[in-house]
Amino acid sequence: MPLDPTVLEREFPEFEFNVERGKIREFAMALGLKDPVHFDVEAARAAGYDDLLAPPTFTRQFWHENDENDPMPHLGYDPKRRLHGEQEFEYHKPLVAGMSLRGRNVIVSNREKEGRRGGKMIFVVIETRFVDEGGELVQVARRTLIETAAPPKESE
Amino acid sequence: MSYRAGDRLPEIVKDPIAKVQLVMYAGASGDFNLIHFDDETARSRGLKGVIAHGMLSMAFLGQLTDSAFGAGRTRRLEVNFRGMVNLGDVITLRGAVDEVREERGRALAVCSIEAVNQEGGVVTSGQAEAWMD
Repeated sequence: MPLDPTVLEREFPEFEFNVERGKIREFAMALGLKDPVHFDVEAARAAGYDDLLAPPTFTRQFWHENDENDPMPHLGYDPKRRLHGEQEFEYHKPLVAGMSLRGRNVIVSNREKEGRRGGKMIFVVIETRFVDEGGELVQVARRTLIETAAPPKESE
Repeated sequence: MSYRAGDRLPEIVKDPIAKVQLVMYAGASGDFNLIHFDDETARSRGLKGVIAHGMLSMAFLGQLTDSAFGAGRTRRLEVNFRGMVNLGDVITLRGAVDEVREERGRALAVCSIEAVNQEGGVVTSGQAEAWMD
């Protein structure tokens, strides 16, 4: 299904992201991490951070928080053909507990490619920029979503 | 930590993927897609059973660079999701330094990284950059 062109032009609202100690510990535990910088405030401070350090992919939890902020549910993808093909994070400042970030999603790229077995594949890149209270850039996340080509129609 | 081009990053072997880890990761990440912890849903989508979140493999690769260079020194992570991870799979994380370059007066290591399963199949691969000083 072709993407709705109005979604591509839309400005998605800014959202707030408060980085909590408990959530950092929960995330680090789910990954099986052992480094105390994610669990113990004293250890984090000894390592030079103001508070517990978030693991590198931590901001991922914000993608599903609010449909209004996130372009993905509005893209009109067929969920059976949707893939998360690529993911990128750029880190500009350490992310630690107690920070309050503001994030915003933008669709930065939308292209079509011929599928290997015919039909069109659609690639969309959603960029999320997170800034801190001083307006400084903390992280940029880029998600590449792919809608694979529709399967050939079954003969009747 | 200091590395030179051609050096390998210390390998990490994760515990076998267990359903409880997928449930914990679903809660921690907010990704409640049922194919990651409900077998019935997974089978109805043509899978043998539940599969791990792709982003869990990426998070593991973040662990690889953080532990090789020091937590918080990762500057960039970029991956392609290439294969599915099933329950019981043992994921090994490995990487190698392709290049060391100077950026803003600091030494930056550019690495190839990958997560492979017990059969040697690459499930997630990509590139990482980390500060060495």
